[in-house]
Parts: sequence; C-alpha cells; structure tokens
Amino acid sequence: MTATATAPAPSAPREARQGSPVLDWLKSQYALYILVALLLVATITRGSIFWGGTNLTNLLLQMSIIGVVTLAELIVVLTGGIDISVGSALGLAAVIAAGLFGGPSVFLGLLVALVIGAIIGAVNGFLVSFRGLEPFIVTLGMLALARGLVYAYGNGIPINPAAAASYAKFGQTTVIGIPVLAIIWIAMVLLIAFLLYRTVWGRRVYAIGSNKEAARSSGIPVRTTLWSVYILAGLLVGLGGWMFLGRFASGTSTAGNLQELEAIAAVVIGGARLSGGYGKVFGAVVGTIIFAVIANLLSLLNVSTFLQDAFRGALILVAVTLATIQFARKRRTTAPAAK
Amino acid sequence: MTTTVERGEAARPETGEVAFTATGVKKHYPGVKALDGVDLEGYAGEVLAVCGANGAGKSTFAKLLAGVQPLTEGEIRIAGFPHPVRNAAEAEQAGVLMMFQEPLIIDDFTVGENVWLYKLREGRDIRPWAQKIDSNSERTREVLAKVGLGALRTNELARDLGPGQRQMLSLSRAEVTNHKIMILDETTASTSEEHFNDILDLVRREREAGTHIMFVSHRLNEVFAMSDRIAVLRNGLLVDVLKTSETTPEEVTTLMIGQALKALDRPAPAQVEGKQPLVSVRDLHGGTAAGVSFDVFPGEVVGLYGLVGSGRSSVGRTITGQKRAAAGTIEIRGEQVQLNSPGAALEKSVVYLTEDRRLEGFVKDFDNGENMSLVVLPKWSRAGVVDAKKERGRVRELIDEFQVKGGPKTYTSSLSGGNQQKVVIAKWLESDPDFVVLDEPTKGIDVGARSNIYEIIHGVAARGKGVLVISSEAEELLSLCHRILVMRNGQVVAEFDPAEADTDDLIRTALTHQD
Repeated sequence: MTATATAPAPSAPREARQGSPVLDWLKSQYALYILVALLLVATITRGSIFWGGTNLTNLLLQMSIIGVVTLAELIVVLTGGIDISVGSALGLAAVIAAGLFGGPSVFLGLLVALVIGAIIGAVNGFLVSFRGLEPFIVTLGMLALARGLVYAYGNGIPINPAAAASYAKFGQTTVIGIPVLAIIWIAMVLLIAFLLYRTVWGRRVYAIGSNKEAARSSGIPVRTTLWSVYILAGLLVGLGGWMFLGRFASGTSTAGNLQELEAIAAVVIGGARLSGGYGKVFGAVVGTIIFAVIANLLSLLNVSTFLQDAFRGALILVAVTLATIQFARKRRTTAPAAK
Repeated sequence: MTTTVERGEAARPETGEVAFTATGVKKHYPGVKALDGVDLEGYAGEVLAVCGANGAGKSTFAKLLAGVQPLTEGEIRIAGFPHPVRNAAEAEQAGVLMMFQEPLIIDDFTVGENVWLYKLREGRDIRPWAQKIDSNSERTREVLAKVGLGALRTNELARDLGPGQRQMLSLSRAEVTNHKIMILDETTASTSEEHFNDILDLVRREREAGTHIMFVSHRLNEVFAMSDRIAVLRNGLLVDVLKTSETTPEEVTTLMIGQALKALDRPAPAQVEGKQPLVSVRDLHGGTAAGVSFDVFPGEVVGLYGLVGSGRSSVGRTITGQKRAAAGTIEIRGEQVQLNSPGAALEKSVVYLTEDRRLEGFVKDFDNGENMSLVVLPKWSRAGVVDAKKERGRVRELIDEFQVKGGPKTYTSSLSGGNQQKVVIAKWLESDPDFVVLDEPTKGIDVGARSNIYEIIHGVAARGKGVLVISSEAEELLSLCHRILVMRNGQVVAEFDPAEADTDDLIRTALTHQD
C-alpha cells in the first residue's frame, strides 16, 4: 500500500456498444405501445366516431382535469411518497371555490381553489417531511377529512356559483379548436417537465426519491424540498378543482371522487416507480391519455359502466406486469461490473 | 439438537482433492468483459486467495462460483455435483457457502435467529408444530463465541450491531451449515483489525475440516496471513497462480497492477508554525465522542485512528454537521460555528466523505454526471435553472481529472468501488471545500485506485486546505498523514508523528493506553 502506480491502473474496455438512443428509448416505452394498440382498436371498431371532432374535444376535456391531478401525483411519487388525498382535495377546492362569497367570479374562484389546494398540500407535506409520518397514512387521513368537509359544506347538494354562466362559458372556450382546459393541462405538463428536468429543485426531487440519505448528506435541504413538493402538488390539485368548475359549472360533492386511484394508476402505467427516484412526465401524460381513451372507447362501444371499471383494472395489471418485465431486463443489463 | 445438521465429515473430500473446476469462464456485461476466459481449480483443505485491482473480475468470479449470477460462457463444476452449476440454489446444494461483502443480516431478527438463517431455506417442513431450532440455545452461544461474539445476547436484535459485528455474525453461519466451499468476498472490508484474528481462526478451523476457502481480497497483508495459493486476476484474465510461501506482496502487487511501482512519497511536512488553525475542535461531545479536542492547520493531513466504536466516526460526523453535537465548540478560522446540518457545513466549506458509500455516498438512480453535480448544482445554475451546457462540460472535465472509468451517462452504481469513490470525492471537491473529512476513504478499494485517492488527498492539502482522514488501517495513516491522533473510548488519547511511529504503536495505543 505504500506504493503508487506510475500510470493509471489498467482499465477494462470502455463502454463499447451503445445502440441508437432513439431505439433504446422506444424499447422501454411500454405505455406508448398500449396507447398505440388502443388507438388502433378504436380506429378499427369506431374509427369515424372516435376521430370525429366532437369526440376528440370530449376526450381532451376528459383528460385535462385528471391530467393535472396526475402531474401532482407524479411529483409526489418521485419522492417515494404517495398522495391518496388528491381526489378529495380537488373536491374541496371545487366546492369552496364555488361557494365562498357565493362564487362571484371565475378569477376569484381560481384564487380560492389554489389557496385551498396549497393548504391541504402544506398540511400533508408538513406531516410527511417534518413529522416523518408515512405519506400513505397522512393522505389517507386527509382523504377522509377533505371529503367529509366537502359533504358538510354543501350538505350533499351541488353548489352552483353565482358566476356559473361565466364558468360554463370559460369551460367551452377554445383556442384554435383546442379547449382552453386542455391548454391549461398542456401548460402544466410543460411547467412540471421544466421544473423536474431543468432546475436544481427537480434534480433534488429525484435525488431524494432515489436515496434520501445521500441527498441529506450531500447538503440538500431534504425536508424543505419535500414540503415544497407536496405544496406544489396541492396547488396543481387546487387548479384541477377550479378546472372542474369550468367544465361542470357546479361544485358537486362527488367532485374528484376516486381520482386518486386513476392518478396513481396513470403514473404507474407511465413507468414511474412507486418507491421513488424514477419516472418521467411523458410517461404520466401517456398514462393519462390511456385511461381517457379506454373510458371513451368503452362508452363508444356501449360497454356497461361496471365492465368499464373491470377493463380499467385489468389494464393496470397488464401494464404493471409489462413494466416489471422491462425493469428486470434493465437490471440484468446494467448489473454492476466486476469489482 | 436433533434438528442441527452436523457436519458430514465423511462426505468431505480428502485434503488435496479438487473442490471446483472452472473452465473457460466468461462473463460479459454490456460493454464490459468482466471475465474473459478464466480456468481455475480449487482444492479441498486450502485457502485460495483471489486478488486483483478494481474491475479485475475477482468479485464476479466469486459470484459466478456461488451461482448468484449466470455465466456468459464456460462452466463451473463442483466436486460431487453431477452437472455444472447454473444458479444459486444448485450452488448451495453443491455445498457452496457465500459470504457477501455486505453481510446478509436480517435487521428485525435476533442475533440467534440470524445464526440459523440458512436453515429457513430448507423449507420443506412447514408444519408450524414441527420442532424448531432453538435460536437461544447453548449451541448458538457456542457458535457465536467461536467468532468472537460471545458477549452478545442471542435475543438481541441484529439491527443494533455494528458493521464489524454484522460481518462476524454472518460468518458464524459457517459453523452451522453443511458446505464444501466457503467464499469470503471482501469479508474483511467492513471488519476492523480486532476481528481479523477471529476470521483467521475460523478459516483455520474450516481448512482443517477440509473446506475449500476462497478469499477474495486486495488487502495483501491479510492475503499473505491466511492463504495457501494466490490467484491474480487482471482485466478479466487470470494472470498467474502463485504459492503464497514462494512469493512476496511486491510481486503480487506488480502482477495486479501490471507494472512496477514506486514508493509513495510521504508529503513534505506541513508548515504550521505560527499559523492560525483552520479548524479548532474543543471538548466535543456527540455520539460516542466524549470530550474531543484537536486542531487542524491549513495544508495539513491529520489522521484519526481508532477501533470501531472508539468515536472516530462520531467525531467526523459531528464536525461536519452530519450529526448534531451534544456539546463543545467548533471554530473555523477562529470563528465559532454551529453546524446543524450537512447543508450548513457546506456553507462553511466543510464536507464529509462518508464511510458508507452505498447508503450515503451516491444516488443509485443517478449517472456519474448527476452524482458529481449533486452538491454544486446551485453554482451551475441561474435562478434555480441548471446551465446544462456548463454542467456537461464540467462533468466531462471532472471524469478525466479523477480518472473515473465510464462516461458521464454511466450509472455510478454499476461501477466498481474505487470508481464509485472517485465520483463521490469529485462531487465533494468540486465544491472547493476548505476542510475535508474523509471517513475510511479507501474502504473496499484496491491498490491502484488507492494511490489515486492518496494523490488526490495530498493535492487537496497542497492547496492549503485542511484534511482529516479517519481510518482503521494504521498503515494507511502512517503513509498518508502529517500527524495521527489515536482515539479510544471517545477521547483522543495520543498523538503521533508518522515518521517516528509504526503500526504497532497505533494499535497498541488504540487498544490500551500506555503511559
């Protein structure tokens, strides 16, 4: 050990083989294949209706709200957490935005919905990051709490904001044929992708999800970052609640019901790992589209709503199984080199 | 003890019989030929050391023998087993016992249950009322005593053990399993010198019982202390197999590295006379550290030696904000600081290189580039937005500068220990720290990469920074440091000048203080 090499130690051959990056990327896009298959089925069976303008607009409207909620779920899942309160939080944001001061304006509604979402996210995030509680349990509590408040606030009756007409008008607005709600969703997709891939914050989110200890000892403010993730998720969910009002012009007590399951499923189908540290915005978007297309297609095919749920469930199982096959293969090829 | 499977002495081959034969063994990972055609035979009743630099393929060979990973080409036959071994279950049936570098310990099982862990895989009898092994039996205590863990209670949770004790606990299973080949994969990497004699005893017992012992290591003093033959691997090829009694560590090192070596120059003594200390620690308490005081001057490499549990890591962790200090003061350039988190320490230009690389050193889902920029990313960004071009360029420079194998997009977790360590060191040094604490910087790292790391450490000191190296290897500190502090029972008990001290002085002082 009291010796030093005169030249660098012999190194094993450097990475020799590296396929085309596009091809490598395509190989791991299982969700994309499912989507393409679904679109093919749609084209073959109900092509003319499915690709019709009315249906496509409908489809976009259907996925815009859940799409924003899925983004919220994605950033939480990336940290290794889970948020099952998104559906209830969306409902609460929607009814309060509709009911507070009588819901006089669309803009005030946005503000109220964002504040409600942020508060719920902040409480979740505080308990998870500063009190060290399990995200599942915390958000399970929040799920029941927020939904209970939704029912209590409206006594189970839908709340119609004073500005219902403006909400309806806003929800039907289109820009060059694209509904404004879908544009909001796309904007959020771009925003979250930018935050995750291009900023220090995003890098920290991935680092925390993959290895909290390493992140902490590298001087990353783990708890504040984690908290900010939940707050941002809350803001997105609040936005989703406001978009709900835009679409339905009324704060129903079932608003956002069971959306947490759909959001988690979309995130997972998009290839994110529930234990954190791995997942892409693109995957979450594809996951969102898959579920919207399935629901749309099944109703076009006149399949009963009960069976629709079964289809959706089966699809989750298939997709998750495919993902594990893909992960297993990846692990084998990137197994540690010799020591 | 009817359920205890006693060693089938009769089933063991006579000493000198072939225990395993590997022919034309190849293992290719994408882009890396970890093993490229190795022929090797092992005999019963011998200790075969497998040596090599990082990436030479020694651990890979051990894993193939244990069936943990599949071969690309070639075959491995184990004496008494009808066909070549294809997977871990077959290897186990054939009598291979693998001791992994990271010991397989179940935290929530008791010490006794962990001793008998491998009995669980004989899971044919699942009747809940069937007679169970008594994990708190006299026999369990005997087994533990044999590996130097006699002081542990059998019903203690394994979670509470130190790294050295965990390794010894996993080794204790050798006493209760029926095996013909025992593989020790870098087993001594996480044990300290105090446990080494227990390992020697265990190996001697196994050897007398006719087991073939394969000792995968690059710690040559240990290799020479216990092996009969030494197989040297380099770049996935078997370079030579030598009789230990007929060779020297220098010869083996030369074979491992592939070229002649020059002695590491001891650094010129640091000029500290009349200078203000860079870091002054006074009466520090925290963890196992109980009242530690010392100074580090700019340009100085200070060593901190001690046995496991002596408080050396507690000192390293408390002065770098990894752990809160219970009491005491830390001054940096005369200014008293409160380091409550790694982030706060980083702001004061104080960094800590962890001894647990896998847990705290790097992010496993990150590639080299992302890991290297983990600490300094805010500096490479404007208003929180990463300057991707700057990051890419700087990462490429760092990879060249620190001679990291693999590119910016290679996953750090797929590299060998030495290269992983270089990535982690690069991550910290890029933040241009004034005071660097390195906890076991060469743990599990081979000779070639070690000298790289030593050169890096000297380079940091030469730039007028302060370095504190914590190590359980006396020899390493003697060749690396300007000054060595020895800790015992949470306190600094002595200070040595490496020019006037030897390994023996350090170990003796660490064990019992001589006045």
